[in-house]
Amino acid sequence: MPIRFEKVDFEYSPGTPFAFKALKNIDLELAMGKMTAIIGATGSGKTTLVQHLNALLLPTAGKVTVLDHEIKAGQKFTQVKELRHNVGLVFQFAEYQLFEETVLKDVCFGPMNFGVSEADAIEIARRSLLTVGIPEKSFEKSPLEMSGGQKRRVAIAGILAMKPKILVLDEPTAGLDPQGAESMMELFRKVNKNSGITVLIVTHNMEHVLQYCDDVVVMEKGELLMQTDIETFFENYEYMEKANINPPAIIRFKELLKKNGLEIASDVLDIDSLASAVARRCKK
Amino acid sequence: MKNITLGQYIPLDSFFHRLDPRSKICAMLAILIAIFVPAGFIGYGIMAVILVRCVLLAKLQISFVVKAMKPMVMMMFFLTIINIFVIKTGNLIYTLGPITIYDDALKQTAYIVVRLALMIMTTTLLTATTKPMDMTLGIEDLLIPLEKLKVPTHDIAMMIALALRFIPTLIEEADRILKAQASRGVDFENGSLKEKISAILSLIVPMFVSCFQRADDLADAMEARGYVVGAKRVRYKQLKFGWGDYVVIIAANLILAGMIYLAIVKGS
Repeated sequence: MPIRFEKVDFEYSPGTPFAFKALKNIDLELAMGKMTAIIGATGSGKTTLVQHLNALLLPTAGKVTVLDHEIKAGQKFTQVKELRHNVGLVFQFAEYQLFEETVLKDVCFGPMNFGVSEADAIEIARRSLLTVGIPEKSFEKSPLEMSGGQKRRVAIAGILAMKPKILVLDEPTAGLDPQGAESMMELFRKVNKNSGITVLIVTHNMEHVLQYCDDVVVMEKGELLMQTDIETFFENYEYMEKANINPPAIIRFKELLKKNGLEIASDVLDIDSLASAVARRCKK
Repeated sequence: MKNITLGQYIPLDSFFHRLDPRSKICAMLAILIAIFVPAGFIGYGIMAVILVRCVLLAKLQISFVVKAMKPMVMMMFFLTIINIFVIKTGNLIYTLGPITIYDDALKQTAYIVVRLALMIMTTTLLTATTKPMDMTLGIEDLLIPLEKLKVPTHDIAMMIALALRFIPTLIEEADRILKAQASRGVDFENGSLKEKISAILSLIVPMFVSCFQRADDLADAMEARGYVVGAKRVRYKQLKFGWGDYVVIIAANLILAGMIYLAIVKGS
């Protein structure tokens, strides 16, 4: 039961002078259980794409299949609630969606909307908050008293508490400090590996793509440009340059080594294995 | 959220788009007064023809103007009902049990409906062809005479400008929060009263929080750029009258005069 887009078009305000085609003929299939990065310049349709996954936007042409839900253009989609239970979507700057008096109550809001009893919701909320690294003593605080990064963690806990099968994150690390961003990405990896939740991340950060993701989807001007695993993606250095993608430091380093006559295997993607690969070559 | 036609600026290039906002506002006022002159259906017919020509001249689609009238349909409907029950003069034209309809009732209703339609057409013509910022500049200039009465015209204009500036931002924000809460299982359409209240709260509370935050940030940003309340300010964009502006103002006033003439002829 993967995620599948078949010839999907999406147009904003069709039939007005503001009509804008944000997605053009998207054919895409994403495997479950993986961590996939969706990259592309601002305005390339990434956010529009992910909003199709829980029927916030409905395709104007084509078909989207998520788990066993089918969303066809021009047809009324009736399983909205079930789909949104299965697909947790964390928006850009998610901290703005908090509204309850206490952190704990806000995290309970999602599960209770999907019919979980209050006692169970509190239990789930506590666990989700601890997972995202919010300490017990903050549970009764007002969300407004917390820092920006903490608020975002609370918002993410609110989505995790819904126990989705697919977690979609729209630029989850935007505006966070580097350490905060790293630990946020660690958290998503943990969620992906330990709970087997499929994770989709919209991001601009190539270091994160390299370090944490399995697959890459590249969007450009509403079209799907490329879908591949990260090894193949980062191997193609000219392509990245042409597409104006700033490669991660380690890939740039490997490229410089290559230019100077030292080629390293394409599966060497972290600093430790690169160091030992270089050392091995030097010994020879 | 994005389908609000009333008061939306349509970025095109036409004779009306290039006009000075001041002349457009003045012309609109003249036309609005003309609409309320009881000139009979002949007068309204003439005005409708002129206004439709103007809409086309502004390169707008008639369907756009019709869409702007949609929110008024309910109001027109209620007006019809009320008029039918209240106005009992003229000739009796229809009886159904206790319900009697007189021709004056229908005439009055038709008058109001036509007036509303013409008014919406006129105002849409103004808002669709004038950038919100130009509009506030125009309003500010037209209010200058009030400065003698110690009315803070610049502050009023600044407030209008800021409010207009933030409408799209807030719509976007509301849209985002709406979607975020919908992703958390909020159903904004169905559900019991209690669920509905909680659904609306989940939208309003974050909106309030972010509005205050934005207002705070904006005040800081304005101060950082040297804005002082009540200080004398010069303006980057200078409004200039062209020949078209004189034509529009004279034409609007001719229409007004024509309607008054028609009304007098009809009355005597």
